[in-house]
This record gives sequence, structure tokens and C-alpha cells, in this order.
Amino acid sequence: MKSTALDARRITPLARARRWLTPLAWLALLLLSAGMGQLEWLFRLIEPDVRAVVYRRSGFFALLGQHILVVGVASLLAVVLGVGAAIAVTRPAGRDFLPLVSQLASIGQTFPPVAVLALAVPVLGFGTLPIIVALLLYGLLPIVRNTLAGIGSIPAEVHEAARGMGMTAGQVLRQVELPLAAPVILAGIRTSVTINIATAALGATVGASNLGDPIITGIVNGNTAYIVQGAVLIGLLALAVDSGFERLLRRG
Amino acid sequence: MIELFDVTKRFGDETAVDGITLRIEKGELCVLVGTSGCGKSTTLRMVNRLIEHDGGEIHLDGQPVRSFDEVTLRRRIGYVIQSTGLFPHWTVARNIGLVPRLLKWPRARVRERVEELMRLLGLPVAEFADKYPRQLSGGQAQRVGVARALAADPDILLMDEPFGALDPITRETLQHELRELQARLHKTIVFVTHDMDEALSLADRLVVMHQGRIVQQGGPIELLHDPANAFVESLLGGMDRGLKEAALIKVGERMLPLGPRLLASERIAYGASLSQALSVMLWHQVDRLTVVDEEDIPIGELSLRRLLGARAS
Amino acid sequence: MAEGRPPPNWVLLSLMLGAAAAWLTLDAVSVAANRIVPGTPHSALDVMNGWPALLLAVPMLAVAFLAWRPHDKGLRLSLAAVVALLTLLPLWLSAATSVLVTSDMPQARVAIGASLWLLLFLLLLALIELRTRLGLSRATAWLLLIPVVAGWWVALSLWLEPLALLREYQARSDQFIGALGTHLMLVGAAVAASLILAVLLVLAMRRHAGVRRVGFGVLNFLQTIPSLALFGLLLAPLAWLGARFDWLASIGVGGIGWAPAFLALLGYSLLPMVRNIHVALEEVDPAVIESAHGMGMSRRQVFLQVRLPLALPVVLEGLRITTVQAIGLTAVAALIGAGGLGTFIFQGLGQAAMDMVLLGALPIIALALLADALFGSLSECLRPGGAA
Repeated sequence: MKSTALDARRITPLARARRWLTPLAWLALLLLSAGMGQLEWLFRLIEPDVRAVVYRRSGFFALLGQHILVVGVASLLAVVLGVGAAIAVTRPAGRDFLPLVSQLASIGQTFPPVAVLALAVPVLGFGTLPIIVALLLYGLLPIVRNTLAGIGSIPAEVHEAARGMGMTAGQVLRQVELPLAAPVILAGIRTSVTINIATAALGATVGASNLGDPIITGIVNGNTAYIVQGAVLIGLLALAVDSGFERLLRRG
Repeated sequence: MIELFDVTKRFGDETAVDGITLRIEKGELCVLVGTSGCGKSTTLRMVNRLIEHDGGEIHLDGQPVRSFDEVTLRRRIGYVIQSTGLFPHWTVARNIGLVPRLLKWPRARVRERVEELMRLLGLPVAEFADKYPRQLSGGQAQRVGVARALAADPDILLMDEPFGALDPITRETLQHELRELQARLHKTIVFVTHDMDEALSLADRLVVMHQGRIVQQGGPIELLHDPANAFVESLLGGMDRGLKEAALIKVGERMLPLGPRLLASERIAYGASLSQALSVMLWHQVDRLTVVDEEDIPIGELSLRRLLGARAS
Repeated sequence: MAEGRPPPNWVLLSLMLGAAAAWLTLDAVSVAANRIVPGTPHSALDVMNGWPALLLAVPMLAVAFLAWRPHDKGLRLSLAAVVALLTLLPLWLSAATSVLVTSDMPQARVAIGASLWLLLFLLLLALIELRTRLGLSRATAWLLLIPVVAGWWVALSLWLEPLALLREYQARSDQFIGALGTHLMLVGAAVAASLILAVLLVLAMRRHAGVRRVGFGVLNFLQTIPSLALFGLLLAPLAWLGARFDWLASIGVGGIGWAPAFLALLGYSLLPMVRNIHVALEEVDPAVIESAHGMGMSRRQVFLQVRLPLALPVVLEGLRITTVQAIGLTAVAALIGAGGLGTFIFQGLGQAAMDMVLLGALPIIALALLADALFGSLSECLRPGGAA
């Protein structure tokens, strides 16, 4: 603890920025690529025979924004609900539900995300809302599971010591349990967001417009250039977000 | 017989063992003792070539260990380590029968040998044969570890802090059992420990190591009387040395035959140690004890003077 | 603790009250005259004046009542009640179908409604809860499901012909079998290939630290790329290869088809496989390995008799993760023309035919759960030290 505090003081802002170099590089690449509408000549090389080689039904920035919005909303809700649920079932009052919730979280993760997305449609209909709900439900599982694992792996002595020092239940949670479980929880959120970015792309098949759109349209029309455009953007988005989490986790 | 001639081992820049020369006689229980990092474990593991020595020579019954195939060599030498290293996926019986099976003994003979060893180490066959290591207590697991090392009846036994992870009572029991086992089997044993009490109570000969070198070697009493330097003295416990020595001497060695006087009221067993005798005297505030044999029949007496005089004699 | 009575089991209590409420208020089935027209919803109470529905609500309330003062016998009774309910539901559905579908509706389709789905879900949760509380083994849990499966099977084969899902299946049963076969083939091939490749890769990683660093870097990178994007990115080069080399095209390598699906599946499968095999071989207790050497086991013996058996459960765990993941990803692969059960999902979504979506999604979920259970129990059997 002490050594990291000392390190932090010694690190110049420049060095701190350098630690974020990888995620920032991915982000820059992502934003640059979103401007690839200008690169018509390049995609002409992939698909010399079709009329349109750049996906124009809506702008790449708009698609990217949509994608981020859907994943962001779903993930944020999943974090709040997931961490909240895991905390609730590890308190004395909610402990009854612990075995069921933890089993549910692990059984639920064997459900393929596509299947969950597909099942959400009959219940919720087409559009953006069912995707958010499906992503939220599926995204909950790794977060709940990891939060439970993180809190559960705290040694009993630590708990006892905290209570023995006279900390209240709330203080134990905020100052002991959550900080100790934080890396594991963060890893769960990372898994959840990574899956969500991938599953959201499939949302294009149920009527959401996001980065999956060019791919699906490309597949349907046999236009490889569209597919590549969508795929590159989704790939870069995933890499940028993932390397951001990587950075956060390494600090923690 | 194990002989080390000017043996050296380096790990990178660090010299772990620095020119050790040592001779361990057949049937001797030799304890290597020292603080952690003194090179005692490395020395032990060079004997069965788990670590290869860089310089010098190690001989086994007059032949350099390098002349043996390493696998054959290890099958001839029993090996026991602190964390037992029992195979968690095998039953107790299978673990003990490991080396005989490696040596391709017939199945019936392996089973016979395993059962014999389990009885020898106080592990009832019916109860323990089919248990798995994780179902055993620390003491039981270490008994299995010793049984496994003895399975192919090796002449030499290497033991690397075998009792280090056990609670004091279990440790003492196992030390006692090892002494009894050794009295019957007469193996050549090299035993590594950092616990001086354990070393004193087990050793025929102690080898004190420090920073890769041998500082002093000799019998327990010899060391207690005449520590080579301050380091050995501090290892031996400074002011407690007297009690430690007294713990090594039996009442039977110092008692006088029964005299014409009345029997003293307090009694002490013939096989008890002088330190126990002293404790009884202190507790009952007497200066004379009656020494009795196993059947509680008086066979001698021990006076405080006689007890103290032990030092002079 | 002077109090002899155990506290209420709030889990069962709330599950069962919720189940009863959903059962008696929401729509249980909907009936449509044919595939095109929207269905008319019916609640469970609409069917035969509601008395069968009320009869089924009795065991739910009974379990809730027993949960107020739970004891071992009560929990066993509850277990029986839940299994009985799950077995009786298809019979109720059959009865409802025979009442609601009259002979003048030969094309009628009965779809399962919200209350029935919810009831099924809550009852399964109750089953999980009871299994945990009673500490039942995996095998016992499977045995409990036998009457349930039998009940559904009998009802489906005898009385539930108008069930939309069944009609959808009957309309394309050949196609379904074919899709199932393709799905299993793709998963099997990808998992088998990744197992072999992963073993080779791990052996190389154990030799060279460089291979390990680069290998994990690349595999982590691959795992991060969303499936749809990876499938898409593989389309372009494979299409080019297929167009360039006739022999590749003749074995089906082209932009669309099994090739990009197989390659992407293989790429995704490698990370969990490599990671688990690597961890399995690395993390065997060093003391065990040392004592194995110390006892005079040869390198081969140490590997075959100690490392491998100790690593096997972890490897199987890798196989489990990989297989479950591949089953889901293969569904996505249907988008790029690889076939498999995902075809029904995406066709169904395209035609807004929800029963067709279910025809794809439910078997995929069943396959995933089955693979999970299979590998899970296998690795439990092989756990070192046995189950004692």
C-alpha cells in the first residue's frame, strides 16, 4: 500500500499518460476507423464489382454511438443490480438466497448469449429495448458470480478482525469487503462488457441499428466490404474497452 | 556409508554449499542443523541428485553418485519431505507401494510389504489402506510418507524437515517413533532440521551448518559442552544448555544402587531423563528420589548431588 | 439457542407464492387458427372452468406452507410436490389443448404463454434450491428429472400435436436433424482440433517462455474480438482463397460456409483449452513432483502417473468451457452460412416466427446444459482423491 502511494507521487503526468498508452492507441484507431467512409478506393479493392462499397445507411459514428450506448446502459444497470444482488445475498438477512443465486449465476452462464437474445424477442419484441434487457440479464451473471467469489474469498480472520476492531456492518462492507473484492469484481465486469459488445452486434438481427448492421447487411447482400467495415469497428471497440479494463485491473 | 569430499553448489552468484567434507557412517543417524538458507537441504538433495553438485565428490559406499543412473540411485534411497509429497490421487496403500512397484516387485509381495510397513508405523491396515492423503491428519500423512520411503527397504533414508509442519505433541511422538524405528532397522539416516531440540534428541551426530559451511560436528553432549563459537552457542540456546543436556541423559546412567537408607518417598522411572528428575525434585522440594523399573519396583536412588555431579563425572 | 423451530425458508416461500400468483393471473396459452393470424390468449383459469388450474395451485401453496417451518421431511415432501407439478404440467397443457382446439381448426397452433414459462422457470429454481438444501448428489438430481422428461415426452407424442413448437418441428424435422448434425459436427471438430493444437502449443510453451508470452497474447487478443466481427473478418480472406484455388473451393472453402466458422471456433476454443492445460500441468504441487523424482520415478513415469492424472480434471474443465462456448458460437455461425441450429433462430427472427426461434434456441440451450453436466460429472469422477 505504502509503496504504491510513494510510486504515485514520483510518477510524472507524462508517465501516467504512458501507462494508458495502449487503451488510448486502440481508442484513437477506433475513432480514425470510424472515419473510413473516406477510404472508398481501398474497399473498391475488396469488392471491385458492386456499386456501393461503403456502408451509407447510417454514419459509422452514429452506429458506434448506438453500440456504445446500448452496451453502456446495459452494463451500467448490470453492475448496479449485479453487485447489489451479490451484496444483498451475502448479508445475514439475505443469506437464505445465497445458494440459489450463486447456482443460478453459474448455470445461467452455460446459456449461450445468442439463445438469450433470441428468447428475449418473443417476450419483449423487436428493437433496442429487448437487446438492452437481454444484455442486462446475461451481463448480470458474471458480475454476480465474481462479486460472490470476491466477497466469499475474503479470509474469515480478516472479517473477524474488522468486527473485533468495532467496525459496523456498513464499514466492514465499504472499507474491507468491497476493496478486497474489487479486482475480482472488476474482472467480472470486464467479462460482462466483453460479452455484451459481442452480443449487441447480434442485435442487428433483431432490429437494432449498431455496428452489427453493416456486417449483417453485408452477409445478406454478399458485400464483403460492408462486412469488413463493421467487423473492424466492432473489433477495435472491443479491444479498446478490454485494454482499458486491463489497465484498470493492473493498477488495482 | 555416505562421503562428501569438498562439495560445492552455486546457484547463480550465490554459493549455497561451500566446500563441505563429511562422512556419515553406516547405521548412523546424522542430523544437519542450521538456520534457513544455510545449505542443509541443498546438501541433502545433492545426495540423491535432485540437485547436482558443482564441485567435489559425493560417494555412496565408496562409489561416486554420478556413476549411478539417477533413477536407480533414488530408488535405493528413501526420501521424506516436510509437505509429505504424497500423491493426492492415490490411496495410502498405493502411495506406500510406489517404489516396490517401480522396482517391479510381484503384486502379492508389494501388498505384503505395504501391510507390514503400515503395521510398523501404527497405521491399522483396515482403517487406512484405502484412504486418500487429504483424509489424513498431518501426523498420519507423515507416517505414510516415512512408510513410503522405507518401502523398498533402502539402506539410506534422507529426511528433509519431515516433522517441521506438525504440532509439538505429534512431532514429539513421531520423533520418539523414529528413534524406536532406528533402533530396530539401523538405517543410515541423514535428517535435516532447524529445530535444535529435535536435532539433539534424535542425533547420533550433529552437523551444524552456517552460510554453506560446516561450523561444527559431534555428538549432542559434545556440542553442548563445547560449542565451537557464539553462533553454535546461540543455536544451542545459551543458558538453557544445562537443561538441554540433562534432557539427554537417562536417570539410569546416574543412579546409585539401593543403599541401606529408607526409600525416598518420591519415585522416578529408570528411563526418565535427568531434567525430568530435576523437575520432580523441584516440585516436591526433595533432594532424593527412588528409581524404579518398568514394573515400579525400586532398583536404585538418585540424589541431587549425584544429579548435579553428572556434569563433573 | 432455545428455539426449536427453524426459521422460514424465504426462498421457497417467495418462489412458490410467485409461481401461484403468476399461474393464476397471467396468460398460460394462446391459440391461433393458423401460422399467420395472431393467437387468442387464455389464462389458466379460463380452461375447464379453472378447476384443474386451482388443483395445480394446491401443491404450490402446500410447498409454500411447508417452507414456513422447514424440516427435512417437509423438504422431501416439497421435492416430491415440485417434481409432481413439473410432471403434471404437460398433462394440463394436453387437457387445455384438447378443450381449446376444436375439430374445425385443423391448422390450429397452441403457443405456451408467459405464466407457463414463468411457472416452469420458478419450479426449476425451486428444484435447484431443494437439491441444495437436501444435499442431493448430481445423480439423484438427474433421476428426479426422469418422470418430468417422461411426462413431457408422453404428452408431446400423444396429445400435443397442435403445440406450435411441435408443429414447427414437424414441418421441418429432416432439416432439424440435419441442422443438429451440422451443429454437433462443427462443435466436435472445433473442440477436438483445439484440444490437439492446444496440447502441442502447451508443450511448446513449456519449453520456451517466448512462445508462452506470444501465444497467450495472441489468444487473449482473439478471445476479445466479438464473434460476429471475427466471422466477418475471416470471410474476406477465405473468399479470396476459395476464388484463387480450385481445390480449396472444392472442399467448401469460400467466403460463406463452414470454413470461416470452423476457423473462428478453433480460435476461440484455443484460449480456454490452452489456459487450462497449461495451468493443469504447471500447478501440480511442486512437493508432489519433487517427491516423485526423489522416489526414483523416471521423467516419463512422473508425467504419466503423477502430472497427467492430477491435471486431468482441470483439462476436462477446459474441455467443458470450450464445448459450452463453442455450442453458443456455432449458433452465431449460422449467420455466415455454416448451418446448424442457429439457422432456425435467424430465419425465425427474419420471419418474425417466434416458434421457429424457439426451435433453434431451446435445443441449443439444452445442448449447452447437457455438455456442461456431462463434463462436470466426468471431472468430478476423476477428481484426485476420489469422492469419499
